[in-house]
Amino acid sequence: MTTTRRDIFKFAGGSALGALLTPAPWRLITDTALWSENWPGIPRPARGEIRAKFTHCSLCPAGCAVRARCVGEQPVSLAGVRGGLCPFGVTGHQLPYHPARLRQGPVSEAMAAVADAIAKCGPGERVAVLDLRPGRTASWTARRAMAVLKNGWYIAPVQSPVAVDLTKARTVLSLSAPLLERWGTPANVFAVRDGFRLIQADPVESRTAALADLWLPIRPGSEEALALGLAGQLTSAETAAMTGLSEHQIESVGQTIGFGRLSLVIDRAMSPAVVALNVKLGGWGRTIVPRAEAPVPPEWKKAAPVTDLAAVPDRSIRVLLIDESAPGEYLPWDAIEKKLAAGNPLVVVFAWSANGYGRYAKYVLPTPVYPEATDDIPPAIDSPAPCFRIAAPLLAAPAGVVTPSEFIASLAGLPPADALRERARAIHQGGRGTLVTYADAKSVPVKEVKPDDFWKALNAGGCWVGQALPPANFRAPVGQALPPANPSQGLVVLATPPAPSPASPLFTKLYQESDLLLAPNCIALHPQDAARCGVSAGNRATLETPNGKWSVRILTDSSVRPGVVLAARPEMASASGKVVRV
Amino acid sequence: MRGKIIFLAGLAAALGAGWAGFPYAIYTSRPQPVDFSHKVHADKAGAKCEDCHAFRDDGTFAGIPTLDKCAGCHAAAMGTTAAEENFIDQYVTPQREPPWASYARQPENVFFSHAAHVKLGNVKCESCHGALGASDKLPRYRQDRISGYSRLGMSMTDCIACHRQQARADSCLDCHK
Repeated sequence: MTTTRRDIFKFAGGSALGALLTPAPWRLITDTALWSENWPGIPRPARGEIRAKFTHCSLCPAGCAVRARCVGEQPVSLAGVRGGLCPFGVTGHQLPYHPARLRQGPVSEAMAAVADAIAKCGPGERVAVLDLRPGRTASWTARRAMAVLKNGWYIAPVQSPVAVDLTKARTVLSLSAPLLERWGTPANVFAVRDGFRLIQADPVESRTAALADLWLPIRPGSEEALALGLAGQLTSAETAAMTGLSEHQIESVGQTIGFGRLSLVIDRAMSPAVVALNVKLGGWGRTIVPRAEAPVPPEWKKAAPVTDLAAVPDRSIRVLLIDESAPGEYLPWDAIEKKLAAGNPLVVVFAWSANGYGRYAKYVLPTPVYPEATDDIPPAIDSPAPCFRIAAPLLAAPAGVVTPSEFIASLAGLPPADALRERARAIHQGGRGTLVTYADAKSVPVKEVKPDDFWKALNAGGCWVGQALPPANFRAPVGQALPPANPSQGLVVLATPPAPSPASPLFTKLYQESDLLLAPNCIALHPQDAARCGVSAGNRATLETPNGKWSVRILTDSSVRPGVVLAARPEMASASGKVVRV
Repeated sequence: MRGKIIFLAGLAAALGAGWAGFPYAIYTSRPQPVDFSHKVHADKAGAKCEDCHAFRDDGTFAGIPTLDKCAGCHAAAMGTTAAEENFIDQYVTPQREPPWASYARQPENVFFSHAAHVKLGNVKCESCHGALGASDKLPRYRQDRISGYSRLGMSMTDCIACHRQQARADSCLDCHK
């Protein structure tokens, strides 16, 4: 009997059917799936002792206290200590693994280039440090270094000289400040939210506006006019004309926040006009107080002053060092660029990713990122008392990263001392305030703690809290009303609050794949305005303002107020804009 | 007719290989390092499960006892059996930890708490580990050649079945934190 090819096929067919009736193929599928879980490159949390570590989140100026669950030396989850954490804070331990993370950079080459450029600075040319988050101990190191260099400048965004005390306020009038979103310390704000009535004057129905007790849909750009009107510098009729509110609404708000009623008026940066209004309402020393800072060693006082970028002469900076390691208030690159000297200025950026100012720099030097970085967080704007808290590292930084303050200090020949420890020593020597430790929820007067224990407690997530400054005589600055916006002349372009940076990988993904956050190349406008401008959703267009022209993609959103264009880039903001279809 | 026979022969061969051969071929097999008897320890020494498989002070489960625990009683040979002699010579005297193979080790992506099940849920050891605690001889450790896991381990299906039977939560994030 010969075996034919047909026989073989029949036998194979029977075998195939039989195999399907056995556990073999299904088991192989399961096993292969399990095997794939252990492929190289798949993250595997370390096995080890489970511990809780405490630190402070340095992703934004709020500096929330963090309880990290660690397996071995690996943080595997983050949670807030007193209140919750924002989504960025909860996913912060993923940042070191961000795809855009920088790990290597030409540190020695940059050092040599900077030293050479400093030596070759011409008359009138400057070396400057731009610090995005002033007030840190690292900021003091940069200021001291710039004071040593004869042509050094320390540049930082202007900080409000006051802090607010929400616990004392019974009514809060917010002039477009995102109080319930990212203004101040979220846990503190929500802890006292039930204690005050919130009136939100906002051109758009922001999340804070939606959660406020009263939303006043004012005309874009008229916040300061409303402040002046409530201060009595404008009549109700004038204020109504500028803000778009009715006189009755303005008078009603004026009565609600009247003198001596523990009212607090805030805007994004506590501008001079708003401070003046608070003083007029009797809030000085009660709802607003002078902003206090943790003590520093006396020898640090010989530091370079803080200079506003606007005060820097154009074309005067030969060497610019930008410390982007601690995200803070970003300044438009256009505004920075015009301060750089003509002809090959040297820009060095310290950042954990090359996606920020690194795009414009000759050298981008990698820095540790939260939670690898050791840094302190200055008191937030809603902290009436000075405090000193350290973002103690939860992970070891990779080899190859550089600490900006050490780099800058070495340029000026400052000794490589541990500035954080020096400052902690100065605070301890002052003997004032209390040490709060989260692990045991205790508050101990500093004078009862030994210096070494104080330092250890700070590195274990403790926080020093001082006493609020006594209210001194304060001369209230008076702001001037801006010309009211007139939508009939064009579109008012508003810059939405930028997403806190660095963003976590989760949010980066959301950012890229959805329109939940406005992308830098997009603008949003009301469908009626879009129709008036001859554009529709998805179209390419040009946004023209007195500040410049940008190629943008159109998004339409009926929640955007007519007459307003929402943009993500701050430099696009303008009182008059025009959208032209390409 | 001949074609049908050949087809059925193929079917029978596959069924035989799949049901009889495959379950053995998929596993590697090796003995445990020590010929340990749970039964002897329970009967003669009066040991209970938690005497050796204890919880730490912080509530976490210690799992398989370390040599220190064994040496507490077996500092010297407690009998004349070959297994006892081998244990003393190979591990106690040189103070070398026996390379036990854990039947119930779970994958890295599974979070399992003995404390939650045993202390809060009053689940008996036998519910998951079977009659291992009463066995006279440890079964050979059989490891899946592809997945690398033990044959005797608890699978996700077992966990879900018990959770549903006990009307407990069975969402993904209960175990896969």
